[in-house]
Order: sequence, then structure tokens, then C-alpha cells
Amino acid sequence: MLVENIKAEFNLYKNQAEKSDFFLKREEAFAEFEKVGFPTTKNEEWKYTNLKNITNQSFQSTCESTIETELMLSHAFLKELTANKLVFVNGSFRPELSTIIETDESIVISTLAKAKTAHSELFNKHFGKYAPIEGQGLNAMNTALLSDGAFIYVPNNKTVTNPVIIVNIADSTDVNVLCQPRNLIIVEKSASLTLVETFYAVGNNPSFTNVVNEVYANENAHIEHYKIQNQEGESYHNNFTQIFQEANTNINHVTLTLSGTLVRNNLHFFMNGQNCNSLLYGLYMPHGTELVDNHTRVDHAFPNCHSDELYKGIMMDKSVAVFNGKIMVHLDAQKTNAYQRNQNILLSNEATVNTKPQLEIFADDVKCTHGATIGQLDEEPMFYLRSRGIPADVARKMLLNAFADDIAERIKIPELVELLEQEIEKKI
Amino acid sequence: MLSIKNLKAEIEGKKILNGLNLEVKAGEVHAIMGPNGAGKSTLSAVLAGRADYEVTEGTVDFDGKDLLELSPEDRAREGVFLAFQYPIEIPGVSNTNFLKTAINEKRKYQGLEPMEATDFLKMMREKMELVEMDKSLTSRSLNEGFSGGEKKRNEIFQMAMLEPKLGILDETDSGLDIDALRLVSEGVNKLRNKERSFIVITHYQRLLDYIVPDFVHVLYKGRIVKSGDASLAKELEEKGYDWIKQEVEANS
Repeated sequence: MLVENIKAEFNLYKNQAEKSDFFLKREEAFAEFEKVGFPTTKNEEWKYTNLKNITNQSFQSTCESTIETELMLSHAFLKELTANKLVFVNGSFRPELSTIIETDESIVISTLAKAKTAHSELFNKHFGKYAPIEGQGLNAMNTALLSDGAFIYVPNNKTVTNPVIIVNIADSTDVNVLCQPRNLIIVEKSASLTLVETFYAVGNNPSFTNVVNEVYANENAHIEHYKIQNQEGESYHNNFTQIFQEANTNINHVTLTLSGTLVRNNLHFFMNGQNCNSLLYGLYMPHGTELVDNHTRVDHAFPNCHSDELYKGIMMDKSVAVFNGKIMVHLDAQKTNAYQRNQNILLSNEATVNTKPQLEIFADDVKCTHGATIGQLDEEPMFYLRSRGIPADVARKMLLNAFADDIAERIKIPELVELLEQEIEKKI
Repeated sequence: MLSIKNLKAEIEGKKILNGLNLEVKAGEVHAIMGPNGAGKSTLSAVLAGRADYEVTEGTVDFDGKDLLELSPEDRAREGVFLAFQYPIEIPGVSNTNFLKTAINEKRKYQGLEPMEATDFLKMMREKMELVEMDKSLTSRSLNEGFSGGEKKRNEIFQMAMLEPKLGILDETDSGLDIDALRLVSEGVNKLRNKERSFIVITHYQRLLDYIVPDFVHVLYKGRIVKSGDASLAKELEEKGYDWIKQEVEANS
């Protein structure tokens, strides 16, 4: 049982740890974890996503990996892309696989473990300040026993020239592996960053990746944030990303879920100033009995902000998708523009989609829309293409590509768009 | 080229075509006219292979092949082209990619290699000029944001690219102003030749001022009840369809 593994692991850690502020934070998180445990389907937010296949198994944190470097990297997407790469295998940083090409020394592209001492002021100012622990068992578990992760700091007015890719590989060759990456991203005033998170799995045993991201965007910052989840085999994934936006910030976030036994994404935006722009896009295409759950929340706490959300699903076989998007427009958030859509295509009679677009509006001068669709591929476009001599299977691919195109066009890295197209080709 | 014998078809149990006969030879242009609800669009749908229509009786022979046995894509690849009454918009599928796929699928069917990119672009340019199609439209998504006239012209452009043996124009004139109608008709006229045949389905005679048919047929209650030359269309324009209806009722 996972809960016992966690307890044992924490006790082990506790006996060796220095009693620092960081330790106290973790101890507090562990206490919260013991109190609330794992979410169950009795919790409304987890109604359709049952974690029992995770919590009933044993997992262990390990930095061991027997997979060879070459093989490991052959799994890594975007090999050819010119980028800063931080590679983590089972949550441990692997410097020999990583490369930093950024030459501006004021920009920090490092790891959390190093930043704790090397950038302790920044670390203490931001760590644990955005992702909530209270009532959030999985976040508490991450905080209590996090392995390592990226630490990125972009000072005022700086632009990281090339994207930063955080490659996360779960290697379950020898054991059931638990990875708990924790990333802290700080983008200061008028600075900009393109960030890509990728997730893979190798090995035949189950793996459980439990990620917490804290992203802080100071005034006028611009962040492009892409997530690619492609963990094959028996792999479970929970991701909590909290993005905290000061005034005039612009965040474009795209989540691509290509594979994973169970993938739960919690993506939260908090707008802490006027004129923020938050863009949330997602594409999922589960097959077999995979489950993909996207829970998003956008907090419009100040006036004159804009958010746009579009999640699209291509559902195959007996797969299940959950979409729950919540837009909270607070009392003071006048002149809010908030849009939200979830669209799904069922390619099989046995696939299921549970969708719940939600608006909670406490201001009175706002423009908000939301909507969801679930349907089959339309007959009319299909017939049109076939009537021009295009066979049904080719026509179907063209239409599904067109459906996915709405999301692909939100991605500003051409290599990533190309990769997505190849993955769609492979999956359908 | 096309021989339709005693064709009967229904949709959701409703009989629409009731024993239709039509012979079209290579190079001929046949106009099918008729009042609303006569079965004009059903005829085009059945010939193109729309699944919601059920053929209950009759045969359609197309150059020695049983057309009704073929899938919609095979009909197209054998040389049947339907210009839709309401061409739909397909966002995310580019016009160019769509046409390249269609042409290469046809070539594959014929056992030919895919077309060279340069040849394809050259052909695009030529055919665009032929039907006076605006170049900017081809880089856009299929029919997305096109005006009614642009959509119809795009149908004719596709026909020019796919070079069918038989073009079926399903109420191509509907929703077009006189300038658009002229442009579309000129495009069709440029595609007329000794081998290529057309079936022009229309409610109004005005299209036939531009695309002058060799034969005019009146469809009523699912059958062709009267045939003649282009002058029959003029007569219908003057007198309407009532006299035909009365003639049919009197004979039955």
C-alpha cells in the first residue's frame, strides 16, 4: 500500500534530516498528508477518477536506474531541438544527460536541490507559496518527499533565448517507482521564458509520477508553457501546476496528453493584478482503457483580465476522459472576458467523456461563455472528402488532424507541432 | 457513358425516385429541371453515393461499371464529380492539401505514381486561371469563410483539377448573384469537351442561358416526365411547372 511506503519513507528521511525551515515545511506537509490522505471518488473533484490502482500498490522512490544513457535519450522527445535541457530520471537530476546553452549568467537554469542553498533567498520567498497543501493530499505528499526538480529564475527584462526542456523519465525496470518532481519557475518583471515539460516511462513495472509546479510571473512577464505527457506502460501521473500572475502578464499553456494509464492534470491560474492574459489549451487522445482527467481553475481576482480555454479530446477504444473547468470571477473582477470550451470526438462506442464546464461569477460587468460538446466525427465533411476520391480512412485522419489543429496552432515551437502531428498519425 | 434504368430510391421509408430512366452519352450536357420536391437533389445524392438514401430498384451503369456497387470515393475515382448545392466548410483542412490528397488518391487508384510537387503547383495555377479563382483562397482552409459565390467557384475549380468524366451540378445557381452565376458558368463551359458529360440540376432556367444544354428533362414525382432540347427550358420559364403537372395527372 502506497500510504505505508510514504510513511516509512518519511520516517527514514526525518531521522536523517537537518532541522531546517525546509524540513519544517516538509514535516508540516507530511502531517497534512497523514490527515487527508489520498483523494477518493467521494470527493466531488475526484468523482470519476479512482486512484485505487495507485494507492493499493507499493511504490518506492529510487534514484537508481539501470537503463543506459543512449536508450534513455532515445526516449526523449525533441532531441534535435536547440534548447536548454534538464533531465531527471526517477526524479534525480542527471547532469551528464543535461545541457544548458543559455549564456546569460544572470539567468538561472538549475535544480531545486542546488537552489535551496545557492539561491536561498529566492527559494524561501517562493517555494510552497503558490501550490496549496491544505486538503490536497497529493500536493502534501509531494512537498513532504519531493525528489528534485527544475529551478528557473529569469531576472527583470531578460529573455531566455532558447526553450528550457524539463525531461522527466520514470524508469520502472527494477521496481515500482515513485517520482515526485517539484519545479519552481520564477519569471520576473518584463522577462520571458518558453518552458517544455516532457514525461516518459520505461520499464515493465508500474510507475507513479506526482508533480507539483509553482510558476510565478511578475508584472509584464510572458511565459509559454508546454506539457507533453507520453508515459507508456502502466504509468500513473498526477500533475498540479499553480500559475501565479501579477499584472499585465501573458501566459500560454498547452497540455498534450498522448499516453498514460491514468493522467490527472490540475492546472490553476491565479490573476493577482489587472490586464492579465491566461490561455489554457489541451489535447488528449487516450486509447485502450486509459483515463485522462483535466481539472482547471482560473481565478479572475482583478478587473480587465482575459482568459481563453479550449480542451479537445479524441477518444479511442474504452478510454475515459474527464474535463472540469472552473472559472471564478471574483467580486472585484469587472470587465472580465473569460471563455471556455471542451470538445470531444468519440471514435468508439465504448469511450466515455465526463465534462463539466463551470462558471462562478460574482462581478456584474463581465463577458463569459462556456460550453462542451461530445460527438462522433461529422458525416457531412466525411462525405465531402470521400466524394472527391479520398478513401474513408484517409478522410478520417484529415478530419481528426483538422480537429487537433486548433490546439496545434497554439504551439509556438515548430518542432513540437511536427512532433504532435507524428504522434497523432501514430495514434489514430 | 451513364445509363440509369428504372431507378427507385427512398429515404427513411419515403419514396422519392419512382423509376427514373436517363441515358447520357459522352460529351452531352443534360439539364434536369423540376419543381421543388420532385427528387432532383435525391438523384444527385444517389449518384454520388450518399449513405442515407436507399436504392430499392433499378440500375446505374457508368462506363460498364455498376455505379451503385461502388463506394463514394471509388465513384469519384472512376470519374464522377458532384458539385454540391451547399459546399461545406472544413476548418483545419487546407484547400491545397485536400486537392493534393484527392488527386494522388485518384492516381493511386489508377496505378500511377503521386504527382510531382512542381507539376501539381503548375496544374493549380493553370486551373485557377481557367475558372478565375482567386489565388488567396487556395491557401485557406477548405471553404472556410468563403462567400457563397467563392464556394461554388471552388467546386468548379475542384472539378477542373480532378478532370472527371461526368460532372453533376446540383443547383449550382442557388444563392448566386448574376455576376457569380456568369463566372461559375463560364468555368463549366471551359471544362466542356467531347468526352466529358454534365448533368445540370436546376430549378430555374437562368443557369441554362449560360450553360446551354443538349437535352432538358423535367423531373416530377421521381420520374422524368418530359424531355426536349434547350427550348423546353424556355417554355418552363414562361409557363411554370403547372402545365406539366396537369399533363401528368391527366395521363395517369
